[in-house]
Amino acid sequence: DALLGCHRSYRSRPTHGIGKFKYLLPKELPKRRKEKVQMKEIDAGTEYQYGDVNIQMTSYDLCLVEHFAQYVHRLCNRLSIRVNESYAMPTKTNEVLFLEERGSKMQLDAILTTHQRVVQIRGLSSTFAPILLEVIQSNQPEGVHLSVKQHTEADFKSRLKSRPELEELRAQMS
Amino acid sequence: SGAAHRPWRLFGAMCLLRLPRITQPLEKEEEEMAALMAQIELEKSHYSDHEIRKLEEEKQLKRRKESLYDEDEAPGKTVIMAQDLEEKWEQKFLRFKAAPRITDADKSNDRTSLNRKLDSNLMLLVKQKIGNQELWLLPQVEWQPGETLRNTAERAMATFMGDHIQAKILGNAPYGIYKYKFPRAIRTEDNVGAKVFFFKAFLQSSDLSQAKLKADHLWVTKKELGDYLKSEYLKKVNQFLLD
Repeated sequence: DALLGCHRSYRSRPTHGIGKFKYLLPKELPKRRKEKVQMKEIDAGTEYQYGDVNIQMTSYDLCLVEHFAQYVHRLCNRLSIRVNESYAMPTKTNEVLFLEERGSKMQLDAILTTHQRVVQIRGLSSTFAPILLEVIQSNQPEGVHLSVKQHTEADFKSRLKSRPELEELRAQMS
Repeated sequence: SGAAHRPWRLFGAMCLLRLPRITQPLEKEEEEMAALMAQIELEKSHYSDHEIRKLEEEKQLKRRKESLYDEDEAPGKTVIMAQDLEEKWEQKFLRFKAAPRITDADKSNDRTSLNRKLDSNLMLLVKQKIGNQELWLLPQVEWQPGETLRNTAERAMATFMGDHIQAKILGNAPYGIYKYKFPRAIRTEDNVGAKVFFFKAFLQSSDLSQAKLKADHLWVTKKELGDYLKSEYLKKVNQFLLD
Protein backbone atom coordinates (compact mmCIF):
# COMPACT_ATOMS: atom_id res chain seq x y z
CA ASP A 1 0.00 0.00 0.00
CA ALA A 2 2.76 2.38 0.85
CA LEU A 3 4.26 1.68 -2.54
CA LEU A 4 1.05 2.27 -4.38
CA GLY A 5 0.00 5.34 -2.42
CA CYS A 6 2.51 7.75 -4.04
CA HIS A 7 1.64 11.39 -4.40
CA ARG A 8 2.08 11.52 -8.13
CA SER A 9 0.04 14.43 -9.49
CA TYR A 10 -2.08 12.60 -11.97
CA ARG A 11 -4.11 14.38 -14.60
CA SER A 12 -7.39 14.02 -12.79
CA ARG A 13 -6.08 15.33 -9.53
CA PRO A 14 -6.47 19.01 -8.75
CA THR A 15 -2.71 19.27 -8.15
CA HIS A 16 -1.95 18.46 -11.77
CA GLY A 17 0.74 20.73 -13.17
CA ILE A 18 1.67 22.14 -9.81
CA GLY A 19 5.35 22.71 -10.59
CA LYS A 20 4.91 24.55 -13.90
CA PHE A 21 6.33 28.05 -14.11
CA LYS A 22 7.31 28.66 -17.72
CA TYR A 23 3.98 30.25 -18.51
CA LEU A 24 4.81 32.99 -16.02
CA LEU A 25 8.05 34.04 -17.75
CA PRO A 26 8.07 36.63 -20.57
CA LYS A 27 7.92 35.12 -24.05
CA GLU A 28 11.31 34.72 -25.77
CA LEU A 29 11.19 35.25 -29.51
CA PRO A 30 13.27 32.84 -31.59
CA LYS A 31 16.70 34.31 -32.48
CA ARG A 32 17.09 35.83 -35.92
CA ARG A 33 20.12 35.00 -38.00
CA LYS A 34 20.15 38.26 -39.97
CA GLU A 35 22.23 41.22 -38.77
CA LYS A 36 20.33 44.46 -38.82
CA VAL A 37 21.82 47.31 -40.83
CA GLN A 38 23.40 50.13 -38.85
CA MET A 39 21.60 53.37 -38.12
CA LYS A 40 23.12 56.78 -38.72
CA GLU A 41 22.76 59.89 -36.59
CA ILE A 42 22.83 63.62 -37.27
CA ASP A 43 26.30 64.92 -37.88
CA ALA A 44 26.10 68.67 -38.26
CA GLY A 45 23.79 71.20 -36.78
CA THR A 46 23.40 73.25 -33.67
CA GLU A 47 23.71 70.17 -31.52
CA TYR A 48 27.03 69.07 -32.82
CA GLN A 49 27.11 65.32 -32.34
CA TYR A 50 29.07 62.67 -34.08
CA GLY A 51 27.32 59.55 -35.34
CA ASP A 52 28.92 56.16 -34.91
CA VAL A 53 32.63 56.54 -34.26
CA ASN A 54 35.07 53.63 -34.41
CA ILE A 55 38.18 53.62 -32.26
CA GLN A 56 40.54 51.05 -33.77
CA MET A 57 43.57 49.72 -31.95
CA THR A 58 46.13 47.53 -33.71
CA SER A 59 49.24 45.93 -32.37
CA TYR A 60 51.44 42.86 -32.51
CA ASP A 61 51.00 42.22 -28.81
CA LEU A 62 47.65 40.63 -27.95
CA CYS A 63 47.55 41.27 -24.20
CA LEU A 64 48.36 44.97 -24.61
CA VAL A 65 45.66 45.52 -27.19
CA GLU A 66 43.03 43.70 -25.19
CA HIS A 67 43.84 45.52 -22.00
CA PHE A 68 43.86 48.87 -23.79
CA ALA A 69 40.50 48.10 -25.40
CA GLN A 70 39.11 47.21 -22.00
CA TYR A 71 40.48 50.45 -20.61
CA VAL A 72 38.87 52.53 -23.37
CA HIS A 73 35.56 50.74 -22.90
CA ARG A 74 35.57 51.35 -19.17
CA LEU A 75 36.56 54.98 -19.67
CA CYS A 76 33.56 55.52 -21.93
CA ASN A 77 31.27 53.83 -19.43
CA ARG A 78 32.65 56.08 -16.76
CA LEU A 79 32.10 59.21 -18.85
CA SER A 80 28.58 57.99 -19.73
CA ILE A 81 29.25 57.76 -23.45
CA ARG A 82 27.16 55.09 -25.07
CA VAL A 83 29.22 52.20 -26.41
CA ASN A 84 27.42 50.35 -29.19
CA GLU A 85 29.75 47.42 -29.66
CA SER A 86 33.26 46.41 -28.83
CA TYR A 87 34.51 43.73 -31.19
CA ALA A 88 37.69 42.25 -32.58
CA MET A 89 38.71 42.09 -36.20
CA PRO A 90 40.26 38.82 -37.47
CA THR A 91 43.99 38.58 -36.84
CA LYS A 92 46.38 38.86 -39.76
CA THR A 93 49.49 36.67 -39.84
CA ASN A 94 52.63 37.95 -41.52
CA GLU A 95 55.67 35.84 -42.28
CA VAL A 96 58.91 37.75 -42.22
CA LEU A 97 61.75 36.19 -44.20
CA PHE A 98 65.26 37.50 -43.96
CA LEU A 99 67.41 36.87 -46.99
CA GLU A 100 70.98 37.29 -45.83
CA GLU A 101 73.35 37.12 -48.73
CA ARG A 102 76.73 36.80 -47.10
CA GLY A 103 78.18 33.83 -48.91
CA SER A 104 75.42 31.31 -48.23
CA LYS A 105 71.83 32.43 -48.52
CA MET A 106 70.10 32.04 -45.21
CA GLN A 107 66.46 32.41 -44.54
CA LEU A 108 65.38 33.27 -41.07
CA ASP A 109 61.66 33.14 -40.55
CA ALA A 110 59.56 35.09 -38.10
CA ILE A 111 55.82 34.93 -37.80
CA LEU A 112 54.06 38.10 -36.69
CA THR A 113 50.38 38.27 -35.85
CA THR A 114 48.56 41.61 -36.00
CA HIS A 115 45.58 41.98 -33.71
CA GLN A 116 42.90 44.63 -33.97
CA ARG A 117 40.20 45.68 -31.52
CA VAL A 118 37.39 48.13 -32.26
CA VAL A 119 35.26 50.09 -29.81
CA GLN A 120 32.19 51.68 -31.35
CA ILE A 121 30.82 54.80 -29.75
CA ARG A 122 27.69 56.83 -30.31
CA GLY A 123 26.59 60.20 -29.07
CA LEU A 124 29.91 61.96 -28.78
CA SER A 125 29.41 65.70 -28.46
CA SER A 126 31.92 67.80 -30.35
CA THR A 127 32.91 69.85 -27.32
CA PHE A 128 33.89 66.70 -25.49
CA ALA A 129 35.50 64.81 -28.35
CA PRO A 130 38.92 66.54 -28.26
CA ILE A 131 39.24 65.96 -24.52
CA LEU A 132 38.43 62.28 -24.89
CA LEU A 133 40.88 61.96 -27.76
CA GLU A 134 43.60 63.63 -25.75
CA VAL A 135 43.05 61.34 -22.78
CA ILE A 136 43.18 58.23 -24.95
CA GLN A 137 46.21 59.53 -26.83
CA SER A 138 48.18 60.30 -23.70
CA ASN A 139 47.39 56.88 -22.23
CA GLN A 140 48.42 54.91 -25.27
CA PRO A 141 50.78 52.05 -24.46
CA GLU A 142 53.89 51.49 -26.52
CA GLY A 143 53.45 49.52 -29.68
CA VAL A 144 49.74 50.18 -30.05
CA HIS A 145 48.56 52.06 -33.10
CA LEU A 146 45.43 54.10 -32.59
CA SER A 147 42.99 55.40 -35.19
CA VAL A 148 39.61 57.05 -34.75
CA LYS A 149 37.23 56.99 -37.71
CA GLN A 150 33.59 57.40 -38.49
CA HIS A 151 31.69 54.20 -39.04
CA THR A 152 30.83 53.41 -42.64
CA GLU A 153 29.08 50.63 -44.53
CA ALA A 154 32.42 49.36 -45.73
CA ASP A 155 33.60 48.94 -42.14
CA PHE A 156 30.45 47.03 -41.36
CA LYS A 157 30.78 44.78 -44.39
CA SER A 158 34.43 43.99 -43.66
CA ARG A 159 33.36 41.99 -40.64
CA LEU A 160 31.07 39.71 -42.68
CA LYS A 161 32.36 36.80 -44.71
CA SER A 162 31.34 36.47 -48.31
CA ARG A 163 29.47 33.35 -49.34
CA PRO A 164 30.62 32.25 -52.78
CA GLU A 165 28.02 29.46 -53.16
CA LEU A 166 25.15 31.80 -52.39
CA GLU A 167 26.47 34.33 -54.88
CA GLU A 168 26.83 31.62 -57.51
CA LEU A 169 23.26 30.48 -57.01
CA ARG A 170 22.02 34.04 -57.14
CA ALA A 171 23.91 34.63 -60.37
CA GLN A 172 22.38 31.47 -61.76
CA MET A 173 18.90 32.54 -60.79
CA SER A 174 19.11 35.96 -62.41
CA SER B 1 23.96 105.67 -22.46
CA GLY B 2 26.90 103.78 -23.76
CA ALA B 3 26.99 100.34 -25.26
CA ALA B 4 25.00 97.65 -23.47
CA HIS B 5 28.05 95.41 -23.03
CA ARG B 6 31.53 96.50 -22.11
CA PRO B 7 33.71 95.96 -25.12
CA TRP B 8 36.57 93.64 -24.39
CA ARG B 9 39.46 93.04 -26.70
CA LEU B 10 39.69 89.43 -27.75
CA PHE B 11 42.86 87.43 -28.16
CA GLY B 12 43.39 83.91 -29.36
CA ALA B 13 46.26 81.99 -27.80
CA MET B 14 47.72 78.69 -28.85
CA CYS B 15 49.08 76.08 -26.51
CA LEU B 16 51.30 73.93 -28.67
CA LEU B 17 51.96 70.54 -27.12
CA ARG B 18 54.62 68.06 -28.02
CA LEU B 19 53.36 64.65 -27.01
CA PRO B 20 55.68 62.40 -25.02
CA ARG B 21 57.81 60.03 -27.06
CA ILE B 22 58.48 57.44 -24.39
CA THR B 23 56.25 56.11 -21.66
CA GLN B 24 56.88 57.32 -18.15
CA PRO B 25 58.63 54.97 -15.76
CA LEU B 26 56.16 52.81 -13.85
CA GLU B 27 55.61 53.28 -10.16
CA LYS B 28 56.16 50.50 -7.68
CA GLU B 29 52.54 49.33 -7.56
CA GLU B 30 52.27 49.52 -11.33
CA GLU B 31 55.35 47.36 -11.74
CA GLU B 32 54.07 44.76 -9.31
CA MET B 33 50.72 44.72 -11.07
CA ALA B 34 52.38 44.38 -14.45
CA ALA B 35 54.49 41.45 -13.25
CA LEU B 36 51.44 39.74 -11.77
CA MET B 37 49.40 40.20 -14.95
CA ALA B 38 52.27 38.90 -17.07
CA GLN B 39 52.47 35.79 -14.94
CA ILE B 40 48.73 35.22 -15.15
CA GLU B 41 48.79 35.60 -18.91
CA LEU B 42 51.73 33.21 -19.18
CA GLU B 43 50.03 30.55 -17.12
CA LYS B 44 46.73 30.93 -18.94
CA SER B 45 48.19 30.85 -22.45
CA HIS B 46 48.75 27.81 -24.63
CA TYR B 47 52.06 26.73 -26.10
CA SER B 48 53.08 28.39 -29.35
CA ASP B 49 54.37 26.46 -32.38
CA HIS B 50 57.96 27.24 -31.57
CA GLU B 51 57.65 25.99 -28.00
CA ILE B 52 55.94 22.77 -29.07
CA ARG B 53 58.73 22.14 -31.54
CA LYS B 54 61.32 22.78 -28.88
CA LEU B 55 59.71 20.33 -26.45
CA GLU B 56 59.46 17.62 -29.06
CA GLU B 57 63.08 18.01 -30.03
CA GLU B 58 64.15 17.81 -26.42
CA LYS B 59 62.20 14.57 -26.05
CA GLN B 60 63.89 13.18 -29.18
CA LEU B 61 67.31 14.07 -27.87
CA LYS B 62 66.56 12.31 -24.62
CA ARG B 63 65.40 9.21 -26.41
CA ARG B 64 68.51 9.16 -28.53
CA LYS B 65 70.81 9.48 -25.55
CA GLU B 66 69.11 6.85 -23.42
CA SER B 67 68.53 4.24 -26.07
CA LEU B 68 71.13 4.50 -28.76
CA TYR B 69 68.78 3.77 -31.62
CA ASP B 70 69.82 4.98 -35.00
CA GLU B 71 66.22 5.64 -35.74
CA ASP B 72 66.69 8.97 -37.32
CA GLU B 73 63.32 9.05 -39.02
CA ALA B 74 63.89 12.38 -40.61
CA PRO B 75 67.54 13.38 -40.47
CA GLY B 76 66.91 16.18 -42.88
CA LYS B 77 64.30 17.88 -40.71
CA THR B 78 66.26 18.53 -37.57
CA VAL B 79 69.16 20.32 -39.21
CA ILE B 80 68.23 23.55 -37.52
CA MET B 81 67.00 22.88 -34.03
CA ALA B 82 64.65 25.16 -32.20
CA GLN B 83 67.29 25.68 -29.53
CA ASP B 84 69.75 26.98 -32.09
CA LEU B 85 67.20 29.42 -33.42
CA GLU B 86 66.57 30.71 -29.94
CA GLU B 87 70.25 31.25 -29.34
CA LYS B 88 70.56 33.10 -32.62
CA TRP B 89 67.68 35.36 -31.70
CA GLU B 90 69.16 36.03 -28.27
CA GLN B 91 72.44 37.07 -29.76
CA LYS B 92 70.69 39.40 -32.16
CA PHE B 93 68.81 40.92 -29.27
CA LEU B 94 71.99 41.50 -27.30
CA ARG B 95 73.50 43.30 -30.23
CA PHE B 96 70.60 45.75 -30.35
CA LYS B 97 71.20 48.97 -28.43
CA ALA B 98 68.28 51.14 -27.47
CA ALA B 99 68.58 54.92 -27.60
CA PRO B 100 69.18 56.59 -24.25
CA ARG B 101 66.12 57.82 -22.38
CA ILE B 102 67.88 60.83 -20.89
CA THR B 103 69.21 62.86 -23.78
CA ASP B 104 71.95 65.46 -23.89
CA ALA B 105 69.46 68.26 -23.73
CA ASP B 106 68.23 66.87 -20.42
CA LYS B 107 71.68 66.88 -18.92
CA SER B 108 72.41 70.42 -19.99
CA ASN B 109 68.85 71.56 -19.17
CA ASP B 110 68.61 73.34 -22.46
CA ARG B 111 65.06 74.56 -22.47
CA THR B 112 64.95 75.67 -26.06
CA SER B 113 65.39 72.23 -27.55
CA LEU B 114 62.64 69.73 -28.18
CA ASN B 115 64.69 66.73 -27.17
CA ARG B 116 64.48 67.02 -23.45
CA LYS B 117 61.97 65.29 -21.21
CA LEU B 118 60.94 62.69 -23.73
CA ASP B 119 58.37 61.26 -21.38
CA SER B 120 56.21 64.31 -20.70
CA ASN B 121 54.30 66.98 -22.58
CA LEU B 122 56.24 70.05 -23.65
CA MET B 123 54.56 73.41 -24.21
CA LEU B 124 55.68 76.41 -26.17
CA LEU B 125 56.19 79.70 -24.32
CA VAL B 126 57.05 82.94 -26.05
CA LYS B 127 58.15 86.32 -24.73
CA GLN B 128 55.67 88.96 -25.75
CA LYS B 129 55.33 92.65 -25.11
CA ILE B 130 51.99 93.63 -23.61
CA GLY B 131 51.47 97.25 -22.68
CA ASN B 132 54.93 98.17 -21.53
CA GLN B 133 55.87 94.82 -19.98
CA GLU B 134 57.71 91.93 -21.53
CA LEU B 135 56.05 88.75 -20.35
CA TRP B 136 56.38 85.04 -20.98
CA LEU B 137 53.09 83.89 -22.45
CA LEU B 138 51.54 81.30 -24.65
CA PRO B 139 51.70 82.81 -28.14
CA GLN B 140 48.70 85.04 -28.66
CA VAL B 141 47.44 87.37 -31.33
CA GLU B 142 44.53 89.77 -31.37
CA TRP B 143 41.24 88.66 -32.88
CA GLN B 144 40.12 90.43 -36.01
CA PRO B 145 36.43 90.63 -36.85
CA GLY B 146 35.45 88.19 -39.52
CA GLU B 147 37.58 85.24 -38.51
CA THR B 148 36.81 82.46 -36.08
CA LEU B 149 38.75 82.20 -32.83
CA ARG B 150 40.35 79.00 -34.04
CA ASN B 151 41.74 80.89 -37.02
CA THR B 152 43.14 83.48 -34.65
CA ALA B 153 44.93 80.79 -32.71
CA GLU B 154 46.31 79.28 -35.90
CA ARG B 155 47.52 82.68 -36.97
CA ALA B 156 49.23 83.12 -33.60
CA MET B 157 51.04 79.86 -34.14
CA ALA B 158 52.02 80.85 -37.65
CA THR B 159 53.40 84.24 -36.65
CA PHE B 160 55.68 82.77 -34.02
CA MET B 161 56.66 79.53 -35.68
CA GLY B 162 56.53 80.10 -39.39
CA ASP B 163 54.03 78.64 -41.82
CA HIS B 164 53.16 75.04 -42.43
CA ILE B 165 53.84 73.46 -39.13
CA GLN B 166 52.34 70.04 -38.74
CA ALA B 167 50.22 70.79 -35.74
CA LYS B 168 46.76 69.39 -35.33
CA ILE B 169 43.94 71.17 -33.56
CA LEU B 170 41.30 68.70 -32.54
CA GLY B 171 38.14 70.75 -32.12
CA ASN B 172 36.67 74.17 -32.66
CA ALA B 173 35.96 74.84 -29.01
CA PRO B 174 38.46 76.74 -26.85
CA TYR B 175 39.95 75.00 -23.86
CA GLY B 176 40.14 77.87 -21.43
CA ILE B 177 39.71 81.58 -21.02
CA TYR B 178 41.63 84.21 -19.12
CA LYS B 179 40.28 87.69 -18.75
CA TYR B 180 41.91 90.66 -17.17
CA LYS B 181 41.16 94.34 -16.92
CA PHE B 182 43.65 96.94 -17.98
CA PRO B 183 45.12 99.17 -15.27
CA ARG B 184 43.06 102.27 -14.75
CA ALA B 185 45.53 104.52 -16.46
CA ILE B 186 44.94 102.91 -19.83
CA ARG B 187 41.29 102.08 -19.41
CA THR B 188 38.94 103.96 -21.67
CA GLU B 189 35.27 103.68 -22.53
CA ASP B 190 35.92 101.22 -25.30
CA ASN B 191 38.77 99.23 -23.87
CA VAL B 192 38.04 97.82 -20.47
CA GLY B 193 40.14 94.73 -20.64
CA ALA B 194 41.05 91.72 -22.64
CA LYS B 195 39.92 88.13 -22.87
CA VAL B 196 42.30 85.45 -24.00
CA PHE B 197 40.91 82.19 -25.39
CA PHE B 198 43.21 79.18 -25.27
CA PHE B 199 43.34 76.48 -27.91
CA LYS B 200 45.35 73.28 -27.85
CA ALA B 201 47.30 71.80 -30.72
CA PHE B 202 49.47 68.72 -30.98
CA LEU B 203 52.79 68.84 -32.74
CA GLN B 204 52.88 66.06 -35.32
CA SER B 205 56.49 66.20 -36.40
CA SER B 206 59.39 67.14 -34.20
CA ASP B 207 61.30 68.66 -37.06
CA LEU B 208 61.48 72.42 -36.56
CA SER B 209 64.14 73.33 -39.06
CA GLN B 210 62.35 76.49 -40.20
CA ALA B 211 63.63 79.66 -38.62
CA LYS B 212 61.51 81.25 -35.96
CA LEU B 213 60.64 84.88 -36.07
CA LYS B 214 61.33 85.58 -32.42
CA ALA B 215 64.21 83.93 -30.70
CA ASP B 216 62.79 84.02 -27.20
CA HIS B 217 60.95 80.76 -27.03
CA LEU B 218 60.97 77.92 -24.54
CA TRP B 219 59.64 74.41 -24.37
CA VAL B 220 58.56 73.69 -20.81
CA THR B 221 56.69 71.01 -18.94
CA LYS B 222 53.68 71.65 -16.77
CA LYS B 223 55.70 71.80 -13.57
CA GLU B 224 58.13 74.34 -14.95
CA LEU B 225 55.35 76.66 -16.06
CA GLY B 226 55.29 78.17 -12.61
CA ASP B 227 58.77 79.61 -13.18
CA TYR B 228 57.59 81.72 -16.04
CA LEU B 229 53.92 82.53 -15.88
CA LYS B 230 52.11 84.86 -13.56
CA SER B 231 49.95 83.27 -10.86
CA GLU B 232 46.48 84.19 -12.16
CA TYR B 233 47.38 83.28 -15.70
CA LEU B 234 48.99 80.09 -14.49
CA LYS B 235 45.85 79.08 -12.61
CA LYS B 236 43.69 79.34 -15.69
CA VAL B 237 46.19 77.57 -17.89
CA ASN B 238 46.69 74.72 -15.45
CA GLN B 239 42.98 74.04 -15.50
CA PHE B 240 43.03 72.61 -18.98
CA LEU B 241 46.38 70.86 -19.00
CA LEU B 242 46.50 67.11 -18.57
CA ASP B 243 49.59 65.47 -17.32
